[in-house]
Amino acid sequence: MTTIPYNHKMGAHCESGTVTSLLNHAGLAISEPMVFGIASGIFFGYFHKHKSFTFPTFIVRNRPGDIRKNIKKRLGVKFQTYSFRNEEDGMNKLDDLLRQGIPVACQVDFFYMDYVPSWERAHVNVHFMVVIGKEGSDYLVSDSYFPRPERLNEQSLRRGRFAGGNMSPEGFLFYPTFVPADIDLRKPILKGIDKACFNMLKLPVPFIGINGIRLFAKRVVEWPKFARDTEHLSHEVMKINILLEDQGTGGAGFRFMYATFLQQASEILANSELKNLSSELMTIGDGWREISLFAARIGKNRDLGADKMKELSNLIAERAELEEDFFKKLKKSIK
Amino acid sequence: MKEKEGFVDCPEQQMILYVEKEDGQFGPMQTGSFITKNYIDDYFDKRKNLVSSLREKINQQEISPVEFFMILEDLTPKELSARVRLPLRKVKKHLLPVHFEKLSDDLLQRYASVFNITTVQLVGAIPGQDPLIAEPAKP
Repeated sequence: MTTIPYNHKMGAHCESGTVTSLLNHAGLAISEPMVFGIASGIFFGYFHKHKSFTFPTFIVRNRPGDIRKNIKKRLGVKFQTYSFRNEEDGMNKLDDLLRQGIPVACQVDFFYMDYVPSWERAHVNVHFMVVIGKEGSDYLVSDSYFPRPERLNEQSLRRGRFAGGNMSPEGFLFYPTFVPADIDLRKPILKGIDKACFNMLKLPVPFIGINGIRLFAKRVVEWPKFARDTEHLSHEVMKINILLEDQGTGGAGFRFMYATFLQQASEILANSELKNLSSELMTIGDGWREISLFAARIGKNRDLGADKMKELSNLIAERAELEEDFFKKLKKSIK
Repeated sequence: MKEKEGFVDCPEQQMILYVEKEDGQFGPMQTGSFITKNYIDDYFDKRKNLVSSLREKINQQEISPVEFFMILEDLTPKELSARVRLPLRKVKKHLLPVHFEKLSDDLLQRYASVFNITTVQLVGAIPGQDPLIAEPAKP
């Protein structure tokens, strides 16, 4: 089988990077921040206890799959999607699509992606990448986290696509089948911002949005009681850095990428207030990055006493105040 | 964040960071992972200590190899049961050495597939080539 000519590009995030590169391949010139912003990707959620997580954790983006769904709804793009109960059917369908020259996005458990360095691997069922060819029993993969296309053997791809558990991929595949010729981005941008503000300010759930950041600040001081020992606590505290910076966010828990979206949106909408707000969010993001560095430092030094955990809590609480003010102004700026 | 502050020399783990360019425009830059560059040794030290302490628990008959790998791979019993497609109560039993010893070849294979290892590695609690343990070249 051959490799489909495909312009591989790195992206900040797997889902927005995958959707962006597929849209670019289909002829739509759109940036990853624009896809992320229109899809209302920015978010916050804190999970103190969850049946699928071994330790309290947080998320900084909307629900996996929503970037594609919101892009479909707001830009009028059509995607063909498939899920499978049977593994053989799922692998055969992928091979068929590749034979037709169609690059296909796959949802997988990141843990089974052999090309990922050992220290980055985790069981996360919502990783997205594009399969762009097959040579022998190896698949060629355009994964936006990597500088070059990678090879992945058939067994690993199969395990990744059909892993069970929370948000099981069920062999999920998608690719765009229709992209409107002329897209006016103005309405989708406004809709995307409006929904993001709603998610951050108004969702009546105590662990989501600004409430979620406040809850994170309040409960992070309780983390020591969940840890097996000091090294476990150190590992989990240092994961704050990974979740905010390394796990495909574009830096500062997506705040830098969303600031880039707002700057691009300000030009399209000729709205100077959005430009000011993009700079403000960049500064808020710098504060999140300070939290990342602080967490890495106290984790490495095993300096995890009550005073340091309280200091971490205060830094997070400060972000909540600033983001509440920011999203209120953002909401007002598009009225 | 300014572009000049974003650069991290870590070819082993590249990533995209959004930064403010010199002309004031925000955009992507390809850079390296700060935490991998600066703290990877600490990660591997903790990993080795965790493996040692879990091995000790296996030797003391406190946990089974299923629990050994479940902890290493950061899975909850609930999540493991969904992945191995067994009821939670059965998975909880398999966390105990006495029940683990009675596992059929088929069940051993199902657990090994989820953990991405061989059944020999599972039974011996040998991470071996487990990529989480195999130490790569240091960045």
